[in-house]
Amino acid sequence: MKQRLFLCILSAITITAIFIACKKNNSSGSSSTSTTTDTTTTTTTTDCSSSTGVAKVVCLANAFLATLTTTQQASVVQTLNLTNAKLWSNLPCGLSCRDGIAFSSLSSTQLAAAKAVIAAATSTTTDQGYDEFLKINTTDSLLYTVAGGSYGPGNYVICFLGTPSTTGKWMLQFGGHHYAGNVTFNAGAVVSITPSHQGVEPKSWTNANGTVITPLADEETAMANMLSSFTSTELGSAKISGSYSDCLMVPGSTTNTFPTTKVGIQVSQLSSTAQANVLLAMRRWVEDLDSASAAAFMTIYTNELASTYVSYASNTSGVSGSASSFFTTNTDYVRIDGPSIWIEFICQTGVVYPSQIHYHTVFRDHSRDYIGL
Amino acid sequence: MILQSNTSSRPNIWRLLFPVFLFCTTLIPAIGLAHQSPNTNILLDINTKMVAMELQIPIPELALSFDHNISKSPATIVEDYGDRLKAYLKAHIHAWVDKENPWLIDIVSMNMDKGIQAFSGPPFWELRVHLNLQPNQGEDTRKFMLDYDVVMHEVINHTALLSVRNDWENGIITDNPLAVGVISRDMQTMTIKPFEVNFKKGSSWKGFTSMFRLGVEHIKNGTDHLLFIITLLLPACLLFSVRHLLKIITAFTIGHSITLLIGVLGLVKIPVQLIEIIIAVSILVSAINAITPFFNGKEIFIALGFGLIHGLAFSETLQNLHLTSLDLALSVLGFNLGIEAMQIAVIAVTIPWFIIMSKTRYFRIIKNIFAGMVSLAAIGWIAQRVTGNSNLLSEATDKLLLFSPWLILGLCLLSMTLFAISFFLSRFDSLK
Repeated sequence: MKQRLFLCILSAITITAIFIACKKNNSSGSSSTSTTTDTTTTTTTTDCSSSTGVAKVVCLANAFLATLTTTQQASVVQTLNLTNAKLWSNLPCGLSCRDGIAFSSLSSTQLAAAKAVIAAATSTTTDQGYDEFLKINTTDSLLYTVAGGSYGPGNYVICFLGTPSTTGKWMLQFGGHHYAGNVTFNAGAVVSITPSHQGVEPKSWTNANGTVITPLADEETAMANMLSSFTSTELGSAKISGSYSDCLMVPGSTTNTFPTTKVGIQVSQLSSTAQANVLLAMRRWVEDLDSASAAAFMTIYTNELASTYVSYASNTSGVSGSASSFFTTNTDYVRIDGPSIWIEFICQTGVVYPSQIHYHTVFRDHSRDYIGL
Repeated sequence: MILQSNTSSRPNIWRLLFPVFLFCTTLIPAIGLAHQSPNTNILLDINTKMVAMELQIPIPELALSFDHNISKSPATIVEDYGDRLKAYLKAHIHAWVDKENPWLIDIVSMNMDKGIQAFSGPPFWELRVHLNLQPNQGEDTRKFMLDYDVVMHEVINHTALLSVRNDWENGIITDNPLAVGVISRDMQTMTIKPFEVNFKKGSSWKGFTSMFRLGVEHIKNGTDHLLFIITLLLPACLLFSVRHLLKIITAFTIGHSITLLIGVLGLVKIPVQLIEIIIAVSILVSAINAITPFFNGKEIFIALGFGLIHGLAFSETLQNLHLTSLDLALSVLGFNLGIEAMQIAVIAVTIPWFIIMSKTRYFRIIKNIFAGMVSLAAIGWIAQRVTGNSNLLSEATDKLLLFSPWLILGLCLLSMTLFAISFFLSRFDSLK
């Protein structure tokens, strides 16, 4: 009798226990993993040398995709929408996580194919465009060697929002710690070259071959030349109150908004020399793009020059006529804010090299960032 | 303690989920408006009488707005600039329901610490300020205007992330604060608008139930502690007395409550590491007792003693809640009921199998194998907690415990198999 009672209790408890065990296991949700089979596409060398402009970028983008497995292709090609378009950042997962595929996961052939896409979309001039991208990439690799963390060149990514084509709309995203490039193509034309972020730390260093690497030196020079060509009165009008410890349109933020009111001095009120220098400064950012698109965008920004404003903060040592007196210390800041163009350039105390300053810049377009999204 | 217990050396079958949870919670402020140049963190502890506020202000940013010289010797900023800093903070922090009658702002303490923000790189010095925002008589602490522009009155791009760390009446009790908003310069007007703090009305019931849940979580995360209870109960299985089992469990809860109260009142403070070591030792002791009983039926007192130790570890979080006395009493009650409920649930799915096996001829050997394994685990934990490094034993235990539900299922199948064998063998014996 006693034993029968036991058996009853036993079976009741068993059922309960199995139920609980199963339920617990489900809630942990970690026991089952789905596996996807990788099918390696046979690598075919596509020759894109005969194409030019956007057609060449598209040809190389497809050639890059052809080197990837289907799983890798799925990471590279993402949906073109505003949410994804905003996922660019100077940190892999800082304010937002980057989309796309990491350079560290690519083979040397795949990486070369990825870089060919970037090269085709950017300028061929030394210290601009692709060369500047490579120099910032190698400077980030120096940072990684010294400080580790998320700076490394392996954390650089490439991503296509939408399918690369010469007829439809798609966006090329590429970058890493001190670089973010976003180029949008539509019907075979470049329709947006922003948002863009560039930075560098240390601002100057010598590599193993003895080459001095200064990716943003000409950007700094252009901004310094611009401000130093202002008269003292013009400088007085351009100066804004408050300090900046970072760019306002900081990389990675998906929520920041442009100030509605333009501050500083209107370019139309500057001397013609100074006005020319404002254009020269803009060129250092716009001309990172392939020459044809750069020319088209420079036309837009030049036409809007008169109603563009220049403002700067800090730069307490800055004096008219002396370019070297600008951008010397932490928080030294300048902004070019036009009807379309927006460029910020700032000196910040170094993070890995705290005894030096380093540069951060942001290039945006009021009406063409994430165009049409 | 609560979520801190996750990050300490305690083994935990839910540990797998913790990184996911952490990721989700850290993502909330990260996706917001946080800056690469470090932002200020504002943490609120809300109760019915006042709002306690903790500020974490990065020194590189404060230097730009307060005094450039503070960066020179950050460690001694509070000593060197204390009075000026207090005046500065008071000039830039205001709170009110009625603007004409602002709240009393009382700076309780200031100290320096090293802060780290993943999106800002390496650690930097930060000033930590504890303030009390005291409303006027009859004013609500959950709906008020916070006029705050520390640092950002000067540093245009600076932002402050506002989070609620504790809001007892709304069931928010956490070491991972809930982001509620961002204070920054408005790009339309280029001014810093007062931030409207508006939390939904909470209740004592919500506070009570959240403390209950916390008690459940607390025990659920302490696998070592559950092993202790099971091992302690093992010799008592032979008695087959639910009353006796309940007595042991209750003794533990009573012990827990006593030290919890003592801790909340701030009477005793014992280093967490020491408590963790004693817990591991107690597991070893109770495992040895399971093999060769020497408690001699005094398990109740052992459970009480262990409860006393464990309760100490939790009191810190309750102190942070800044609760009024009634809320505090409700908290301790809710927390302890949660602990009791979870303990009973775990015991209900494990101990019956041991009771069944206690009716078989194999109980001694099963009990000894189990106690032997628990001893090994306990030794591993002791070594881990003394040295601060994990070892082969503790890692193996942690891995094994990830499969707890399956282990319980295995225990159940084993007990039934043994019972069946035992049953047929005894039938066979009687036939003979």
